Amino acid sequence: MDRNYAQDLLHAIERADRAGAMEIVNAWAEGRSFERVVPELLSPTLEAFGVIWSKGHGGVSLATLYVASKVTEDVLARLLAEAKAKGHTHPSKGPVVLGNVEDDFHPLGRKMVVAFLRTEGWEVLDLGVDVAPAEFVDQAEACGAKVIGASAMMYTTAKNVTRIRDEIDRRGLTGRLQLAVGGAVFKLRPELVAQLGADGTAASAVEASALFEGLWKKAVAAEGALRKVPS
Amino acid sequence: MNSLERVLAALQNQPADRPAFFINASLYGSKLTGVGLEEHYTQAHLYAEGQMAIRETFSPDLLISPFFVPAIGEAFGSRVSQRKQQAPNISVYAAASAEAALKLPLPDVDSHPRLVYLRETIRILAKAYAGEVPIFGVLVSPSDIPPLVIGLEAWLDALLFQPEVAQALLDRLTPFFVDLGKAMLSDGATGLALTANLANGFIVTDAVAETLTLPTLKRALAELPGPVILHHGGCPLVDQLARFKGLPNVVAYVLDVDEDLGRARQNLGPGPIVMGNLNGPGLLNHTPDEIQALCDRAFTQKGDDRQFILATCSADIQLDTPPECLAAITEAVCRAGGVEA
Repeated sequence: MDRNYAQDLLHAIERADRAGAMEIVNAWAEGRSFERVVPELLSPTLEAFGVIWSKGHGGVSLATLYVASKVTEDVLARLLAEAKAKGHTHPSKGPVVLGNVEDDFHPLGRKMVVAFLRTEGWEVLDLGVDVAPAEFVDQAEACGAKVIGASAMMYTTAKNVTRIRDEIDRRGLTGRLQLAVGGAVFKLRPELVAQLGADGTAASAVEASALFEGLWKKAVAAEGALRKVPS
Repeated sequence: MNSLERVLAALQNQPADRPAFFINASLYGSKLTGVGLEEHYTQAHLYAEGQMAIRETFSPDLLISPFFVPAIGEAFGSRVSQRKQQAPNISVYAAASAEAALKLPLPDVDSHPRLVYLRETIRILAKAYAGEVPIFGVLVSPSDIPPLVIGLEAWLDALLFQPEVAQALLDRLTPFFVDLGKAMLSDGATGLALTANLANGFIVTDAVAETLTLPTLKRALAELPGPVILHHGGCPLVDQLARFKGLPNVVAYVLDVDEDLGRARQNLGPGPIVMGNLNGPGLLNHTPDEIQALCDRAFTQKGDDRQFILATCSADIQLDTPPECLAAITEAVCRAGGVEA
């Protein structure tokens, strides 16, 4: 009977067995290219967690998602090491900028999102905690990012999202630079996403890549529309 | 009835003139006194004046020491910085890992300035309201101290991947927790209010809760000579009550926003008080009429359960919340009891 690697990986992560999870990944990759791990094994497993989480957690704790992010980092590390050894470069989905908003010092959620985005092929510029609005936009412009991800845990710091929105608009980048937000406060008060001027959020870190893909497309469409405007 | 009698009635399942209620107005006191936040969170008498102003204005039945748990992290060496619209929060942790935290000296609850500040607020309030209003000292359970000292990520690393190190740190922190809790009670606190997020299945795996954090919590609580309110700390609690039920000295549970009070009673059984379920930070999004409707919904949910205290959940009530929103809660409980606001 064929081994169900995805199920085994799911259970290893649930047990917080980081080393065991990598053994399963490595076993799956025997006789296959390791590059296939992400699309064919890891991503479907993470999606399963995301589905469970979005339906009311179903026993999936924050710690379980944290273990999943650590396994993701392990896979990514091996992937990058192999690519470097072979002189390969992976196709990038594009540069994006992430950080905690000004006055916010809760990095865990952001770090998990960074890990998942990198695994999905995003080129993430991680600015860390307590990032000023202008810094977000400066860095996005410098690296050509079309999406900023801003993380905030509490309402008082989440209000700084409006200052990033203002900075984007002030520089005439509305639409072309999309603003994603995440953090506990947006789960508690989802209406804040629109109220504070953000363009979208995701229910969990594992769903961030899908959100960023959608926002990236919107940014590209906005750029296209701008080019069509007669001068 | 005065507030102490009202709360005791809820505890003893006896009738009261009106439902008891609590608002997390630790931060909001500064709005009423006009005191700057830096002074509010460093000078005990100014904080206490804020709680007194809250009591005078809205008549809640419980008052609290500062809802400022990063102070505990600061006592271990973390750096806190004042925020514009909220309590100070940690900006730099005292250590990078659980192993490093094991080497930190335990703070002296009698001499560290921030701990002295927390305790002094209790002494002032207890003296002012002796026999009239219960005063609760706010702290965190032993398993919730490391996130204030090394950060949540490093603490999850230890709990998940180095359980023996995590247990050693819990064993080291528990006597400090007990000392601080005992000190607050000896200062005059009626009881203690604390979070246990790292024993909640929403945050940690069942294995971590059952082998590390919950056994430590039980041992620590058993050493406290006073009643304890267990606060949800931002995590859903109703489905965790089977796990938390029967903890030593815990007399009340504060639920998360909008959690069902009837289900909480079913899960807890008779005995402890159920507190909830208003959204404290979210009050500013509602009109006073809407808030009264939310209070009425809570009263409907709890039915004839007398072991209930209407309470705001989650974090502090925000500074930009209109006072009318808080007055609406007072009016709702008075209307429910048929007494004058």
